[in-house]
This record gives sequence, structure tokens and C-alpha cells, in this order.
Amino acid sequence: MDPVLRIDDLCKSFGGIVVADHIDLTIAPGEILGLIGPNGAGKTSLFNLISGVVPPDSGKIQLQGRNIAGMSLHKRARAGVARTWQHMRLFRTMTVLENLLMGPRDYPGESLVASVLGLGRVRRAERAAHAQAMGILERMSLAQTANAIVVDLPFGQQKLIGLARALMNDGRLLLLDEPMAGVEGSNYETMQRVVHDEAAAGRAVCVVEHNVGFIKDLCTTAVFMAQGKILQRGTVDELTRSRELTELYFGVAEEA
Amino acid sequence: MIDRAILLQILWTGIAMSSYFVLLTVAFALTLKVEKLWNFAQAGLMGISFFTMFFLVNKQGLPGWLGLAAGLAITVAAAVALEAGAISVLRRRNSGGLTFFIFTLVFSQFAAYVLTFLFGTEPETIYPSVMSPVRIVSGIAVSDWDIEAVATTILMLACLWGFLRFTRDGQFMIAVADNAKLAEIYGISANRAYILSGAIAAVFLTVGIFLYGSRAGVTPDVPLVLVLTSVIGTLLGGIGRVFAAGAAAVFLGLLQSFSILVIPSKWEAMLLYGVLFGALILFPRGIPGWRPRRVQTPAAPAAPAAAAPSPAEG
Amino acid sequence: MEYIAGTVILIALFIILAASYNLIIGYGGLNTVAHPIFFALGAYSSALLGIHAGLPMPVCILAGIAVAVLVSVVLAVTTLRISGDYLLIASLGFQLGLLELINNLEFTGGPAGLSAVPNTFMGERRGLIYVVICVLAASAVVWAIWRTMNGPFGRAVRAMRDDELACAALGRGLISIKILIFAMGCGAAGLAGGLYAYFFQYISPDQFQVAQSAQILTMVVLGGIGTTMGPIVGALVLVALPQAINFLQLPNSLVGTVQGLIFTTLVILFLFLRPGGLVGHTGSQSSHGAAH
Repeated sequence: MDPVLRIDDLCKSFGGIVVADHIDLTIAPGEILGLIGPNGAGKTSLFNLISGVVPPDSGKIQLQGRNIAGMSLHKRARAGVARTWQHMRLFRTMTVLENLLMGPRDYPGESLVASVLGLGRVRRAERAAHAQAMGILERMSLAQTANAIVVDLPFGQQKLIGLARALMNDGRLLLLDEPMAGVEGSNYETMQRVVHDEAAAGRAVCVVEHNVGFIKDLCTTAVFMAQGKILQRGTVDELTRSRELTELYFGVAEEA
Repeated sequence: MIDRAILLQILWTGIAMSSYFVLLTVAFALTLKVEKLWNFAQAGLMGISFFTMFFLVNKQGLPGWLGLAAGLAITVAAAVALEAGAISVLRRRNSGGLTFFIFTLVFSQFAAYVLTFLFGTEPETIYPSVMSPVRIVSGIAVSDWDIEAVATTILMLACLWGFLRFTRDGQFMIAVADNAKLAEIYGISANRAYILSGAIAAVFLTVGIFLYGSRAGVTPDVPLVLVLTSVIGTLLGGIGRVFAAGAAAVFLGLLQSFSILVIPSKWEAMLLYGVLFGALILFPRGIPGWRPRRVQTPAAPAAPAAAAPSPAEG
Repeated sequence: MEYIAGTVILIALFIILAASYNLIIGYGGLNTVAHPIFFALGAYSSALLGIHAGLPMPVCILAGIAVAVLVSVVLAVTTLRISGDYLLIASLGFQLGLLELINNLEFTGGPAGLSAVPNTFMGERRGLIYVVICVLAASAVVWAIWRTMNGPFGRAVRAMRDDELACAALGRGLISIKILIFAMGCGAAGLAGGLYAYFFQYISPDQFQVAQSAQILTMVVLGGIGTTMGPIVGALVLVALPQAINFLQLPNSLVGTVQGLIFTTLVILFLFLRPGGLVGHTGSQSSHGAAH
């Protein structure tokens, strides 16, 4: 099967600090790939490079065969890169539903003219997005929160809303930045279940997590990163058994 | 076609004229550097300063130095009051840039209206006459005002440099300018540095407007135009570089002086706004390569870990 | 009668100006002071077309709006890459520079301005006709802004104001959203300018000074920044209030100064005592809601 994401020889440095050092990486549909490594290894930087927050210095980023490395942040989202943020970055003055309605890749209703005139296709698009949003919320048992202001929700639910907003983008690539950190109980199970379902439906998922336990619960495969390099790829068990890597990671700092 | 003597004359007059531009720009650049504040309220302070001195010297006939002393006292007091009574309040509230801008600009307009109410809209000067004795130095007319202005400016810049370099308060101001939060952790009072920079700026503003007002007429609207020159100088000099901003002000003064050779004088202001706009469009983050140099290079975090095992390909 | 008509028309025009300025700074979060210059562009363009080309009033006013929109897009495309404080300074330079240009050009009448704007309606009903036109225009502008801000486009705008990075990462082109908001606001200012030129039949650079942005800003801040009703309340209060000054029988030379004093005092008081404005929430929250 063709990979959803294919990265070739990707490089990026800020000043003298190398955050991506000739990175090659592929993620297949249905795969849930974990990125692990010590702090400052370049995991979140890699997300920022893939999603377009920062432009790469060199290298190729192909999404379903199309090079997106030169595209701006918003064009990559439209091309099908959906991501979440470590600190969620929800729109805090808006309701849960409004947050989700910002998610779709196509939004004919947001054209200024259409918005003022309230054209029929605007209403249709709004209805469709509305239905999609409620569907995702129901899968997370959060339908009853739809009209709550998003920052009034408990932390774990906000994390889920962050995922839900990203899922409104029906693109093939899903990047999750520490989706599990601080999430407990039923929210944890929901997160796990929804991510697995999305992968099963053919999305390629990439997860940054510090906690190896979360990675084990979530991921099928993982890569180990340090100093902007990918050192090894394998199953989570293989990586955690590797002597060198455990020294590099767990030897330095016990998992948080 | 153009006489060498004429060019030299324009050059000298331009340098002399830029003296007050330099002082006003340094005041603006200093508060921007230390407080991260585009302080348009400086126009209001300039107005207060000028009309105090105008009233005492021109109207009441007091000697110039006494007027200047009174102007300094009142302007510094006003600057400190503004800093402690208003700007620090907005800062505590985490107000956005727009709020600071509205406040500082509206304060200046308020001051201009009060001054218009009190003194009218006729251009006024500090001394009843703007004439100054002139001598001819190798074919160039050099007035007493020119010499005093240039000497005063150089002296004040030297004092500021020495203050920032050698006094504790000066070093604290630089520390706060670099990173206010970090400075506070080290026990430096950011508030004290803010107030001090406001007060020093007030001194520069007063001397600057004194020089300006002893050579040309001032109306309550003039200070705002002068602040714009400061803004342009600050942008050209590169934000955070107070003395480079002063140098840019000399450049602007010379540009204006020499522009009379090429374009009618009514377009002078237009030229200034053109430079402002152009500088922003071309260098939205300041002149490249003119950024403030870091005193220490950031520690390279990769260095100690460089001895880590070579990549083990799986 | 003419006096009352004039006041009502001024209120309507300032509602347009305040509502559109609020759209730009309150909703769009674009810090600009170059609003009066678009008012001026609308006024000058339609007046010049009316005087020299003799075109009918609606065509001239539409052309005025078009010029304002066009220039605003040019300004936005060149300066919106610049953010925050720099945009403010750039807009200040633009406002002052363009007004200086109008002040010095021959065909704009220089400092003396233009005084021969053709009269479209004759007779005693002239004032009433303009009242109807201006009130309709103001209603249309307020309605359009309200409608926009409460529809899907407005949702994207609010999202952008909450978190620019997250908004862009969801596929929204921030620059194009900002350009649209800016063009819409400036076009409304151009409309106000055209109506102003046609009703008062006299325009000069003095009427479009940067001090005007303080006045419009006062209306926005006093009414409540980022609210629909705020600019309307602000414009009502701040146009009606100075009219009361006329009854004080001050010498003509002082009227402007006293009005200016009142405006600036009000802004300062409101900034510190009631940052939310008359309509908005009280409390010390800043206009950008940086309440953490």
C-alpha cells in the first residue's frame, strides 16, 4: 500500500540548533506511529514541519504522493493534514460546536459574500458540517456539551474536543501532539478507542507522547528520535528493549 | 552646477538641525527599548515642556537657563506621573498593544487641546527672537545656535552612554530591556527601570524641544509630527539600538535638508512619511543585520550530548 | 429643520464610520489608525467625479466606495504581513502621507478643499431626502456587519482572534480573512465619505485628520469595542453631545478645542474606568480579552 506520508531527507535548523537532521519517514494508512525520544529530540518540531508551522530548510514531504513541503500552513490543512496541539489551542470564546465547525477542509459558507447573503449552499454546507460535528461528539459521548463554552469543560474533555476538531478535517493524515497527557478514566478510554477507530478507517496517525505507557496503549509502531535524528524504528517493545535507546532516554530522565 | 560651498552649508545646517531630531529620537528609542512601549505620549510631554518654557522665558522674561530648569522639572514630573499613574496600570492589566497606543496617542491629543485652549494656535518660540549671531567659517555660516545645539547633543549622548554603561541603574535598565521577567528574578525592579527610562526620556525631550523652539515656531500640533520623525529614526536605526536610532535621526535631518535641492519644500513632510512607509514595507522587522547583538551567544545544548552513540539503524 | 437634518445625517455617517472601524479593530484585531483617510478617499473620489465628470450621485458614491476598497486592498496586501504594533505605525504613516498628498495636490483643491460638489436635490425637502438616504445606508452597513459577524465568516474571524495559529492550521488563510475585513470596513468608510461630500457640498483635508481617528475610536471605545451596538451608542452620544456645546455660545475658534477636550477626556476615563464601554462587559479585561 502507498504510504500516506513520505518524508525524504528533511532538514531544519534554528540558528545553530538542528531540529531535523536528514529525516526519512513513512506512515502507511491504518498505521499509528509513535514518536518517542528525550525532550528536545525534535518530535514537536517534526510535527511543525509536517503541518507547515515552520518551513523546512530542505527535503521533501509527500502527502499521498503530492509534495507539500513548500505549502503554507493553511494550504497543508486543506491538502489533508489534520493536527492537534499539546496545549490544545481551542478557540476559547467559542462553544464546543463552533470549535468543531472550524474544522472542515471545505467551508463554502465562510465566503464573505455568501455569508452576508445567506445563500442556499451556505445553509446546506452548515447543516452538513453541523451533522458531522454532532456525529463525532456522539462517538465521544460529548454531544451534551455541544453548546458549552469550550474552556468551561474539564481538561480531559477539552483534550477530546481538540481531537474532535481535528477529525472534522477528513484528510488522510492525523498528527496528535500529546493527546493522552493529563487525560484520565473514561476520557482516556474514549481517546484510545477513537484513535484506533480512525486508523482502522484508513487514516495514518502519528503520535507524540512522553509517556511510553500511553504509546504502548495507542501505537502499533514507533520511531525513536534524538537530536533531530530518527535513530530506530520498530515496535514499541523492540524500542524499549534496546539498550542504547533506554540509556539515552530512560537513563537520562525517568518518564514523567 | 551646485556650488561646493552651498553643499557644505546645507550639510552643516542639516547636522545642526538634526541635533533636536537626535535628542527626541533617542528619547523615543530608549522607552521603546526598555519599556517595549511605542510612547506617543512623548508628544504631549514635549508640548507641556515647550509651553512651560515659552511661558516663563518669552512671556515672563525669565532667563533661558531658568526656563529650561523649570521645563526639565515639570516634564520629568509629568513623565513620572504618567508612568506610575497610567502606563503601569495598563501594564498590570495585560492590556493589548492597541490600548497602549490609544492611551498614549489620546494623551498627546488631550495635551494638545489643553495647550491650544491656553495658548492658541499661533506658532510660538522660546525666545522672542530666533536670530542667533552668525560667523563665517571657511565660507560657511555657522550660528551660535548651531554650535550650542551640536555641543549639547554630543554631551547628552555621552552622558547617556556613560550612564547605561557604568551605573548600576543603567545596567539594570539594559537588563530589563533584554528580559524583564528574568531581570526581576535577579531582584531588579522592572518598575524602577521603566520610571527611570521615562524620566531620562523626559530630559531628552525637554532639551530637544528647547533647541527646536529656540529656532522655529511651535504650535500644539508640532510635537506629534516630531514624534513621527522619532518613530522613523527608531525604525531605521533598528529597534533596541538607541544610539543607532540617533544616527538614523541625523540621516533623516540631512535627507530633509538636501531634499530642498531636488523637490519643493512643501513635499518635505511627504518625503518623511514616504521613508517611514517604505522602511516598514521593506524591513517589517527592522533593518536586517541591524538587530541588537546578543551579549552572550546561546549555549549550544547539543554540545555535551554530541558524544552519544552513533545512530543504530534498526 | 436643516440643522436637525444635519445632525441626524452626521450621526448616521458616524455610525457607519464607527461600526466599520469597530469591524476592523474590534472584530478583526487589526490595529490601524488609517480610517479617516478612507472616509476622505470616498469623499474626494465621489466629489471629483461629480464636479468634473458630471456623473449622477449614486455612480459617484459607488466609485468612491470602489476607490476606498481598492486602496485598502493595496495597503492591506503590503502591510498585513507586518503584525501588531508595526501595522499601527505603517497605518499612521499611510494616513498622514496620503492626507499630505491631498493637501499639496492641485486638483484636490489643496488646503482649501473642494467646494463645488454638485447639488442633486433641490428645494426644502433636500435635508429630509438625505436623512432618509443616510439612515438607510447606516442601517444597511450595521446590518451587513452584524450578519457577517454572526455567520460562518464571523465564526472564522472570532476563531482567528482567539488563536491565529490554530485557525490557520485548520485551513483558514488568515491574510485573506484580514484583507476581506479591512476592505469591507474601508469600503463602508468610503460610502460615508461620498454621502458626506454630497450632503455638505464642501470637503477639505482638515476634516479627515488623524485626530478624526481618535474621535471615531472614542465612539468605538465608549460604546464597547467588539460589540454590534457599541459603535451605534458611541456615535449617537458623541455626535449629540458636542451639539449641546453649540448652545454654550462659545467663540467659534474654541468650539473645536472644547469638543476635542471632551473627546479625549472621555477616552481616557473610559480606558481606565470602564474598558468594556457602555455596551460591553465591565471589568478590567482588555479589548483583546487577554484575561489570564
